[in-house]
Amino acid sequence: MHPLVRWFHQLGSPPYFDRFAARWAPWAYVLGLLVMAYGLWAALFQVPADYQQGDSFRILYIHVPSAWMSMFIFGLMAFYSAIALVWRIKLCEILAMACAPIGAAFTVITLATGSIWGKPMWGTWWDWDPRLTTELILLFLYLGIIGLYHAIDDRRQGARAAGLLAIVGVALLPVIRYSVVWWNSLHQGQTISVFGQSQMDASMLPPLFAMIVATKLWFVGSLLARARADNLRREAGKDWVVRMAQERAR
Amino acid sequence: MSYLGYVVAAYGVFFVVLLWDFVAPRIDIARQLRAAKLRAARTTAARPAPDATLSRTESE
Repeated sequence: MHPLVRWFHQLGSPPYFDRFAARWAPWAYVLGLLVMAYGLWAALFQVPADYQQGDSFRILYIHVPSAWMSMFIFGLMAFYSAIALVWRIKLCEILAMACAPIGAAFTVITLATGSIWGKPMWGTWWDWDPRLTTELILLFLYLGIIGLYHAIDDRRQGARAAGLLAIVGVALLPVIRYSVVWWNSLHQGQTISVFGQSQMDASMLPPLFAMIVATKLWFVGSLLARARADNLRREAGKDWVVRMAQERAR
Repeated sequence: MSYLGYVVAAYGVFFVVLLWDFVAPRIDIARQLRAAKLRAARTTAARPAPDATLSRTESE
């Protein structure tokens, strides 16, 4: 068997996954924090202030990566949920459900930082603008998925029900993405493109890309840590969990 | 204009939420392992010694 295929099969074993997550989550966090440290330093102290927005534009260095993460994580959650529903892979259920609180956290950051930026720039904390409203619906979907998962005693049934909601909810992602194109929106249109020409000055882009990478690495660390916690909850009472708990207590 | 207050508030929200995201799974993992240890201790305490019944019968 190919080593990669063997590793993938091994990852499905709860004790193996626990060891894997415990080993790699700290590395993802550390790498994420290092890249984030550079990104934040450059965002706050290196790039010049915007000629119209002044220093308030520096909020975009946390707002935009968080907004992208809020949608990326939802898509990934739906992907894991689809695999879990079709092939009944327990690890994918765990990973899908571990995505939800992290995605909700990034959605909260997106909404809060957008609101804080909106007050001085738009003159209001909130507007029922298509982009803002659809992002708020995304937060409600995340909360619904978390709530549904925890409302059902049987973890596997809960994950399947919540996963179904995630798969249905994925239809919201293109609406969020194109809301500024389809409707007249207070929210500005697309100014940053990863692959094409951005409308931002090139000197302002490196910290943004650093923050995009940093939030991805942070997500990996957080996903592994949360999946590990859920894995332990599902495996409670198994010998390997008891052994590990006793070793840890010594 | 510097809008310093808004920038500080936005970055404050960012750090507080990420801190919660970092701490919450750690607390959860510690809780799961503590529960597993206590459950194992309860099971061991509730289980009678293999020869306990026999020795009591003999002493009577």
